[in-house]
Amino acid sequence: MQPRAEMIHWAFGAMILFVGLCLLCEALVGQEVWRMRRWRAYLWPTLAFSLGVLLWPVMAFFTNSAIHMYAHGSWAEVLMLAGGAELALVRGRLTSPWWRLTWPLAFVTAGTAFLVHEQNPWFFARSAFLHHLLGWTFVLAAVFPLALVWRPRSSVLRGGFAVMVVAVSVMLLCDRDVAPIFGHLSALAGTPHR
Amino acid sequence: MRTLVVAVLVALLAPATASAHATLRATSPHFGTEVSRAPTTIRLGFDQHVRLLPDSIRVLDSRGVNLARPAHNAGRSIVAPLRHLPRGPYTVRWHAISADSHVVSGVWTFGVGVPAPAVTSAYGAGGPTRTEHLVRWLWFLGLAATIGVLGLRLIVLRGLTVPRELEHRIAITAGVGALVSLHAGIAAFSLRSEDALQLPFARFLYADLSPMAATRFGRAFVVMTLGFALVLALIYLAWLLDRVVYLVPALALSTVLVAGLSLSGHDAADAGSSWKTEAADWVHIAAASLWIGGLAALVGLVWFAAPSLRRTAFARFSRLATVLVAVVIAAGTYLSIVRLPQLSDLWSTGYGHVLLVKLGLVVLALAWGAFHHFAIGPLIARADDGLLSRIGGSLAAESLVGVAVLLAAAVLVDSRPPTQPIRTSDRQSQAQPAAVTLPP
Repeated sequence: MQPRAEMIHWAFGAMILFVGLCLLCEALVGQEVWRMRRWRAYLWPTLAFSLGVLLWPVMAFFTNSAIHMYAHGSWAEVLMLAGGAELALVRGRLTSPWWRLTWPLAFVTAGTAFLVHEQNPWFFARSAFLHHLLGWTFVLAAVFPLALVWRPRSSVLRGGFAVMVVAVSVMLLCDRDVAPIFGHLSALAGTPHR
Repeated sequence: MRTLVVAVLVALLAPATASAHATLRATSPHFGTEVSRAPTTIRLGFDQHVRLLPDSIRVLDSRGVNLARPAHNAGRSIVAPLRHLPRGPYTVRWHAISADSHVVSGVWTFGVGVPAPAVTSAYGAGGPTRTEHLVRWLWFLGLAATIGVLGLRLIVLRGLTVPRELEHRIAITAGVGALVSLHAGIAAFSLRSEDALQLPFARFLYADLSPMAATRFGRAFVVMTLGFALVLALIYLAWLLDRVVYLVPALALSTVLVAGLSLSGHDAADAGSSWKTEAADWVHIAAASLWIGGLAALVGLVWFAAPSLRRTAFARFSRLATVLVAVVIAAGTYLSIVRLPQLSDLWSTGYGHVLLVKLGLVVLALAWGAFHHFAIGPLIARADDGLLSRIGGSLAAESLVGVAVLLAAAVLVDSRPPTQPIRTSDRQSQAQPAAVTLPP
């Protein structure tokens, strides 16, 4: 018995929203204030790493097509890598700022996986539209974590990074398997539900 | 550069213009089931409308004869009437066009009056290839690296002051081992599925793998994937927090997960297999992984990264290896007796040939190990640096033989043992008429 794909999207959307809000708070109040409580420094990197671990069950159980399996696997790996690197940087186990390149890598990989594994056109159904939008958002938003490698203290870049994560979570929370998008729904998609 | 950027953009845009792909929601008969009455139709229900191809549904008997008549659409389902299906196993291969042009495919099996064969044994599946042997070998190497390195740290180096640099290398090596196990598992599952589906790679990407996930191999893949993701996380936490204690559950879990290879191999599925052969196979692989992986870790990590620990680690590992080798030999001997009903099978069957090669390599590794244990062991306490370096080279060579043993084991696990002779009681039961009522 598997839950609907959209429910998995909602669950991950909720967790990613929390990560995005943490990032937004950090960007608004500044890193010094945000890290006045030590545990807060670990909060969003730990969540990102945990999300990576939690994506493995999704990869292993959703085998209705090979390419979905590979897409979920690639998200699991890049989230574990980027979240793990961030956590190690906060902890002091890693010191090179180049490890922050794992975030743009994660964004580009995640976006490409979204675009490649979605085989339906934009206006096929709402989920297809959101997959394309998610893919392009990830690919284009990679510029924020990339620029943060060189300008880690920039409030604008930090804010942009946080807003992008929040935007991604909102898209995931909007996802529904069979629902119209701007009034369009392919006759091939089936009957809308809920 | 501009061309490259354009090419990447086109590659990303291309899927957006491809067509909708359908997902199979229901089948009749359900995959992997044994039906008592021969079905008259095959029905596949999709989540959207699909179009038919010539031979959209083929129902193949054990000789490869197609018993399905041309299929037709029925709403979001496709239905193919069947000729009369005699008692036996059947393979269903299907293809359909979803939306405008995208072809989705799948395979499943069912049995009429007999248990359905595993989908990996569907008609047309060619069996393990060299690529599968290679992937299985990488799987073994990943397991050996994880279990061996963690075992070395927790058993051999227990209570010793381990330099921080060595701790770091131990975590990296064990983590890489877990990652290799994870990836090799995905590759092995993909290859096994591709073989069952008999599709070119481009079409395989959109094929339904659910029937494969429901097999023993598929279930082992799911459990091992989840398990090794957890092992990877535990190793990472041990490294991040400098807490060796997190390696204990990582080692325990990895050792348990070795059972996945046993439960999905011939020892669990072939005639003559029982819980005893499954347990013996698990013990055999776990002990061999700890022995070979531990030996490689002793050379690769301790010998060169922590010279001060060489003597103690060598003596402790030597004692541990003695126990492990005894376990490997005991379990291996039992399994050989079960799998090879006659001694002549050793030289008259392909399985026997691979086993002979493996035995030869094991004997070489054992002789080398015995030399280290009995000849080098007493000298190591007073050996100078030059001798210790030469011992390191000899240990590295022994571990390479161990790696070769794992390659032979990978081929052996994928090979089918000789057929078991039918016992008298089985022969009598086979002579009884089948208690299955079939339509005339």
